[in-house]
Amino acid sequence: MTERKDRTADTGLEAFFDAARQESPDPGADLLARVEADALAHLPRPGTRSATGLRFFGQLRAAVGGWPGVAGLAAASVTGLWLGISPPDGVSDLLAGSGAGALSLDPLSEFDLTMLEG
Amino acid sequence: MPYHPMSDHDDEALLAAYAAGDPEAARALTGRLLPRVFTHAVRMLGDRAEAEDVAQEALLKLWRVAPDWRQGDAKVTTWLYRVTANLCIDRMRRRRTGPALDAIPEPVDPAPSAAQTLQTRARADALQDALLQLPDRQRQAVILRHIDGLTNPQIAQIMDIGPRAVESLTARGKRALEAALIGRRAELGYEGDD
Repeated sequence: MTERKDRTADTGLEAFFDAARQESPDPGADLLARVEADALAHLPRPGTRSATGLRFFGQLRAAVGGWPGVAGLAAASVTGLWLGISPPDGVSDLLAGSGAGALSLDPLSEFDLTMLEG
Repeated sequence: MPYHPMSDHDDEALLAAYAAGDPEAARALTGRLLPRVFTHAVRMLGDRAEAEDVAQEALLKLWRVAPDWRQGDAKVTTWLYRVTANLCIDRMRRRRTGPALDAIPEPVDPAPSAAQTLQTRARADALQDALLQLPDRQRQAVILRHIDGLTNPQIAQIMDIGPRAVESLTARGKRALEAALIGRRAELGYEGDD
């Protein structure tokens, strides 16, 4: 028997542990029902969760200083995009007048077009 | 235990399914985890009613944390054992008026002979009495190692200590248990087993 073996190996305690394992308490139907009700009540709604995505954006938000940082970053991004798409007339004039002609706002230089034409 | 179509999934996969809104996963996780959590709480506290509260609270924490659970970080059972033990220790520190002795686990399956069942029950009760005399951390380590059958590294993770500290706690706990139980061997039928 297990007890006989363990009496030498473990001075008899294993027999008590073995008895405890056999006498595992049963949670009972009431508790099972309560816990299952909790689980279902807290069940996340399907399709509303993206833990990985939320975590990524949470970390990004923290990195830029919370929601004010996110708002500032978004405003700067939109402004930059808009300036790229539709630069105000004054910008080209300003660059031309300052002698910075090499810094053209034209996204396709004549050199690139020449290369494309072969 | 009733069959669940998700019984082949591991705990982490079930929790991911739960977080995705699957009610079957909720039922499967409850059926699988509640007995472990409840049993651990009964052994730690020696009080069935309190263990019910602790088990419900521990699992409630799991349901709440599920959407943010990071796969691969920790095993669900490791996390649950830790939460359960911490809730138990909090309660023990609050009451500190001595263990409730009327809350010994109920028998589950009386398949062997009545005499054998009674003897097994008596031994389990004696062990429970002795366990309740141990300091909290020794009791936790002994239960996890010798009744729940966890490894020392798993216990170290649950208790947030090193494996050597686990060995030390279990060794001291067992010595104390032996001292407490040695005088009851004849009463518990060990002389007749030889």
